Amino acid sequence: MSARAGGQPPVVVAADAQSPASATAGRSWRERLRPYARNGGLALTLAIVLGVVGFFRPQYLSRDNLIVVALQVSFVGMAAIGTAYLIISGSIDLSIGSLFALVGVSSAMLARSLHPAAAMALGVALGGAVGWINGALAWRIKLSPLIITLASMSIIRGVVLLLTDGYAVRGVPREFAALGQARVCGVPSPVWMFLLLAAVAHVVLSRTTVGQHLLALGGNQAACEAVGIRVRRLRWGAFTANGLVVGVAGVLAASRFGSANPSFGTGMELDVITAVILGGVAFTGGEGNIPGVVLAVTLLGIINSGIVALGIDADYAEVVKGAALLGAVSLDQFSHEARDRFRTMLAIRERG
Amino acid sequence: MSMPAPQPLVRCLAISKYFGGVKALDGVTLELYAGEVVALVGDNGAGKSTLVRILAGFYHPDQGELWFGQQRVDALSPRQARALGVETVHQHLLLCDNLGAAANVVLGQEPTVHRLGPLKFLDHRRGREEAARRLAEVGASISDLATPIRQLSGGQRQAIAIARALAASPRLVMFDEPTAALGSRQTEATLRLIRRVAERGVAALLISHNLDDVFAVADRIVALRHGRPVFNELAGNALRETVVAAMTGLLTERTVP
Repeated sequence: MSARAGGQPPVVVAADAQSPASATAGRSWRERLRPYARNGGLALTLAIVLGVVGFFRPQYLSRDNLIVVALQVSFVGMAAIGTAYLIISGSIDLSIGSLFALVGVSSAMLARSLHPAAAMALGVALGGAVGWINGALAWRIKLSPLIITLASMSIIRGVVLLLTDGYAVRGVPREFAALGQARVCGVPSPVWMFLLLAAVAHVVLSRTTVGQHLLALGGNQAACEAVGIRVRRLRWGAFTANGLVVGVAGVLAASRFGSANPSFGTGMELDVITAVILGGVAFTGGEGNIPGVVLAVTLLGIINSGIVALGIDADYAEVVKGAALLGAVSLDQFSHEARDRFRTMLAIRERG
Repeated sequence: MSMPAPQPLVRCLAISKYFGGVKALDGVTLELYAGEVVALVGDNGAGKSTLVRILAGFYHPDQGELWFGQQRVDALSPRQARALGVETVHQHLLLCDNLGAAANVVLGQEPTVHRLGPLKFLDHRRGREEAARRLAEVGASISDLATPIRQLSGGQRQAIAIARALAASPRLVMFDEPTAALGSRQTEATLRLIRRVAERGVAALLISHNLDDVFAVADRIVALRHGRPVFNELAGNALRETVVAAMTGLLTERTVP
């Protein structure tokens, strides 16, 4: 890398002296592929795990079973997309598991007296409203959103238990269950919704100014403020969008199961954070992509169900998931260090 | 283009600013012209940063008038200030280390192709071209515009920050202690850049502690002391000793203008 900017007085260059093409010419194919290499590793791991489970239990790879696995993955997956956005932009929401339950039981309760569509819409709106409140608190109270949403996680779970007296909400009309149990091309609707949300989230993150500014915000909030990006709106919007997505997941879960249990979503926030970090999102913000998160959440779902299918004690799944996370983040760090060493070596060679 | 316009781009008239009981600025009058480099000097706490933050819209003056051309704007928001063409190159540069050089240069002004509701779709190619052109203008050579910039040198980062400020087609660029963290060669390069920014017909305001820098690049020197303007002369007519005396309080009797 030339050090002209620092080394010598800059030469006055006419605006067109550097052709635009040279802006891209400097990127080697290695540099261009690097962001995808990690996802390649995840996909390969996914294939190996599927292969191993399928080798010992061929019925695991049957269409019906894979659909069940996909269904399990889809609820955590939807929540993981919202959390990915939050962590990429430098915040977090720990209350998603509680909110998932709140939306589930509320929409199920409403469905007993309202039109099913209204109950669903209100459930999603409730998710958005709670996300909006979390965003307002996180913006106004100058504390880590980790602490603020830890509080709302507890409050919301308490409200859920108060609403239900701790009992599952049953007696939900059949029409309310219709959406969650519907299948399109043999695939359950929650899976479609997960894929749809993932596709939209990917396009927004990688192709729009909103996505670019979320990444920038996770990198340096002061820089975003200095260039006039509406930081508050962006942060607040990420919390609200996350609430809406959790709302959709909660409504679909209540609809799918035809009932809602107050213990819905317990510990979901930790599963979601595991998936998001395993998927390559930097916990410090500013880095991450949606395909990686989708791969990671799928991998974790297959580990969960695959271990059961193999007849291994399900508790081992927790051990394996933890080990996978630890392994992935260690690999991230080692590869960063290796890249730095490589660059240092190149620089030394270049300058003698 | 480098001829000073007859009308000042920015005019501060007897601006005062209080923080609690402390008077941070006390009747500061300052005119900034296109094509001119004005150096704002003064000790710590003299009010330099307060004035910069007022011009950038982060603080509002408690007394006095602030004019942009023919427009009086006393309560300016940071967004409005930017819309009026005020850009600041901060001491800490305020770059996103996780993004590439191109993304940093066009940050907040990314070229877009079409919009869909609140979503504006990025034109990545045009963004890269635009950034490459801006970086070439400031004489920076950065081979890979997409790699996160955390690896780059202080001089390269400085060039990115200045290229970004110029990308907004500003009328006033304020340089807040731009050379504080740079070595001597990079300092020289940065000073040339400031000169070049002014030659584009932009008003440049350099905030600095370093009188070597100030005399190397400034057309006019303004010194603040305890929030009061104590010196305002063309650099050609100013003696270093006089500036130092003004900054340190030996010249307070000669309050200007």
